[in-house]
Amino acid sequence: MTQSAAAVDPVVAADPTAPVLSARRRGGVLLALVPPVLVGVAGLLAWELTVKLGRVAPYVLPAPSAIGEEFWQTREVVWRTGLASGENALIGLLVGALAGLLAAMIAAGFRFLGEVSIPVAAAAGALPIIALAPILNNMFESTSNVPRRLVVAIVVFFPVFVNALRGLREVDPIHRELMASYAARGWTVTRLVRLPAALPFVFTGLRQASSLAVIAAVVAEYFGGLQNGLGSRITSAAANTAYPRAWAFVVGACVLGLVFYLAALALERLAMPWRRV
Amino acid sequence: MTAVAPITAVAPMTAVALAGVTKVFNAGRADEVTALTNVDLTVERGEFVSLIGPSGCGKSTLLRLVGDLTQPTAGTVTVAGKPAKQARIDQEYGIAFQQAGLFDWRTVQRNVELPLELRGSSRSERQARAREMLDLVGLTEFAGHYPAQLSGGMQQRVAIARALAVHPPLLLMDEPFGALDEMTRERLQDELLRICASTGTSAVFVTHSIPEAVYLSDRVVVMSARPGRITEIVPIDLGERGEATRQSAGFFAGITKVRRALRSGGAVPVGSPS
Repeated sequence: MTQSAAAVDPVVAADPTAPVLSARRRGGVLLALVPPVLVGVAGLLAWELTVKLGRVAPYVLPAPSAIGEEFWQTREVVWRTGLASGENALIGLLVGALAGLLAAMIAAGFRFLGEVSIPVAAAAGALPIIALAPILNNMFESTSNVPRRLVVAIVVFFPVFVNALRGLREVDPIHRELMASYAARGWTVTRLVRLPAALPFVFTGLRQASSLAVIAAVVAEYFGGLQNGLGSRITSAAANTAYPRAWAFVVGACVLGLVFYLAALALERLAMPWRRV
Repeated sequence: MTAVAPITAVAPMTAVALAGVTKVFNAGRADEVTALTNVDLTVERGEFVSLIGPSGCGKSTLLRLVGDLTQPTAGTVTVAGKPAKQARIDQEYGIAFQQAGLFDWRTVQRNVELPLELRGSSRSERQARAREMLDLVGLTEFAGHYPAQLSGGMQQRVAIARALAVHPPLLLMDEPFGALDEMTRERLQDELLRICASTGTSAVFVTHSIPEAVYLSDRVVVMSARPGRITEIVPIDLGERGEATRQSAGFFAGITKVRRALRSGGAVPVGSPS
């Protein structure tokens, strides 16, 4: 109570009118960062202590300090493999999201197609990467980037398609009547009303898809194919009992996933300025 | 008496003419509903007509028929001397609903510009007209805001500005002030009357409020439900409206007349025989 009052008071007291909003907002971002950082640091400390004091074998769980050290030593490899996995994830994400969006636009245009496509898309979404990756790997050459990117695209398709379709089909009845009163039809209505109204839904799908894309790109490598990404390093380090190193690459994958998620979030804010107000 | 002048020939002075209009929803099915039966109504150019009646009396349906947002089962709807569909395609009317129905992703200015954009007006013309309309509803300084930044009353004013943007000869309004507080409501009523008077716009205005109907209208069309029909048309003659009007004896007399008509509506159907 006193803490929050102390944090806000000087700003408000100094000038209760004009610049408070921006100052408060800036302070708010910093303040909002404090609790998660504190929890994260506390968690790492507890982890470290548990491993050190509990004499946990490194193959069960290495200490964060050991993982950090390994991460630092292998940072160039993490960076290189991370870039490779990131590229696969990005290309797969773009292809899958675009396909999902186009399919949703087509499905939304025809009532029957919309009804039928949801279960089909759900079935596609339930396809496990584990089942797909080895098959796709066999379909292409071992030097090909295509299988992993295809896995990503397939995984990404579902959330984008389902969310976009929902957004495209939910047109405000008033907007529909207004457009009718303007004698607007077809593509004009799609462009001016359906698509912008669906954007929040599309971005919800895209946010889910961005994390999935990284997971898919990394995990797809566990099942053969070209071995230049994070996934292959995780499996080979684990196979060589180099557990802290395996964990270092896991951290790399974690960071990559976070970058994708934040990028999707930033894009969302950029694309919908009216939602920031 | 409700008997409206028989529609012999649609004079250019007639903004809206409904002749023998019947609307049946879900015809031939178990849930068949007769929303309107045998409605005759004319609205002269520059006239302000309110539709009032209990829920389900078909007043919103009547408005939608005029706007060609739904089509009559029988009878004809003529707007600005042409069939309702042609009038809609020619954008002969502007429309506003109880919800402002603004497009969240467009600024206030661009919301008002939309109907002009769809008419193919040039950019400069659009901008000039939108500014003029925003001036009219007193929201010039909010042109660059998004709808989410405005209060409900301000959003409703934007919706009215949008409805007026194409300078329509006819304004269709479905309880546009229904969701507003009394103060805002009265101010917008005055603004609306001022706008209609200065531009010579005709209006068909659906409302639940007897005082609102009396204050705004040249004629109040009283309807009753099951089946929806016109039971009486109450002429109102209050002259120039103003703050004093709301306290005047004539205003209260009008309210009494409309209330009586609403009361008797269910018991004594006065629908004009065709």
